[in-house]
Amino acid sequence: MPQVPGARAEFLAGIRAFAPLSMSIVPFGLVCGAAAAGSGMSFAQALAMSWVIFAGSAQIASTQLYTAGAPLPVIVATAAIINLRFLIYGASLARHFAGLDRRWQAVIAYLLTDQAYALTIVRAATTRGRGALHWFYLGLGGATWIAWQLASLAGILLGNLVPADWSLDFVVPLTFIAMLVPLLGDRAMLVAALAGGLAAVLLVLPLKLELIAAALIGVAAGLLSEHVGRRRK
Amino acid sequence: MSGEALVWPMIVAIGVLTFALRLAPLALLAQLPLPGWLARALRYVPAAVMAAIIAPPLFFAVGAPTIEPDLRRIAAAALATLVAWRTRSTLLAVVLGMLALWGLQAVSA
Repeated sequence: MPQVPGARAEFLAGIRAFAPLSMSIVPFGLVCGAAAAGSGMSFAQALAMSWVIFAGSAQIASTQLYTAGAPLPVIVATAAIINLRFLIYGASLARHFAGLDRRWQAVIAYLLTDQAYALTIVRAATTRGRGALHWFYLGLGGATWIAWQLASLAGILLGNLVPADWSLDFVVPLTFIAMLVPLLGDRAMLVAALAGGLAAVLLVLPLKLELIAAALIGVAAGLLSEHVGRRRK
Repeated sequence: MSGEALVWPMIVAIGVLTFALRLAPLALLAQLPLPGWLARALRYVPAAVMAAIIAPPLFFAVGAPTIEPDLRRIAAAALATLVAWRTRSTLLAVVLGMLALWGLQAVSA
């Protein structure tokens, strides 16, 4: 049993914190599972996407690039760029999880998601239950992981049963719209999104490098807008 | 390498890289902070990538090489954006966006 005081309560609080997240995790997991199954991957491969990678945006992007016939290095590089954000999350969480052993670090790393990061940082800032934050994280991340695997499985099993003229592929952009809109809190973020979207439509690059290029252009536009905004003040 | 032979190497390579990106700061960065410019740049990655995934299906038919805006999809995406902005609900945005697309497709078919 956990030895840290309050560990059990923090663990349960983490699970409770997951409840509202399920509204975004479950539809996204369904989409990722259905996309993988629809791309012609085997059942084991589609399932492995969700537990080996466990990062929805990278799963969707790599599935789409695979379907489009992109070469392996381009697919892997694109996924790596999409997941670079975990570096910031980890750097920001590191001081809250200082002093944990390697096993805890590995578990925390594996369960790191946008949602787990955001809620844990808020928890760290607002709670006095310090010392047991990793148990909160484990409850939250564990619940997220289980929901993600079940939703992916459902997507893999059900995705292929849906006729193509239902246009269910459109659920992918709709899910991303719902995730993107709350991020657009300032003008630089809006500029980054507009530049990224525009570049993805206008650029036609060899080897399906559009997504990497669009990400870099979006980041550059965001930084530029931030810089201009600061100069004006 | 191409086709089906590519899938397992792809999954393993992305899985290992992603885990490394998740673990490195926790294991190493506690005492070694990320340079400020990099941290600022990385903030914009999710928004840029998400927009880059959202936009192409609105402007290209599946597999088509030329830009051909699909007004029904654009209208449905605009509605979903409005719903997401007002409600912050993924489920509502997805459900209403799909209903709008089906409605428009039925009307214009």
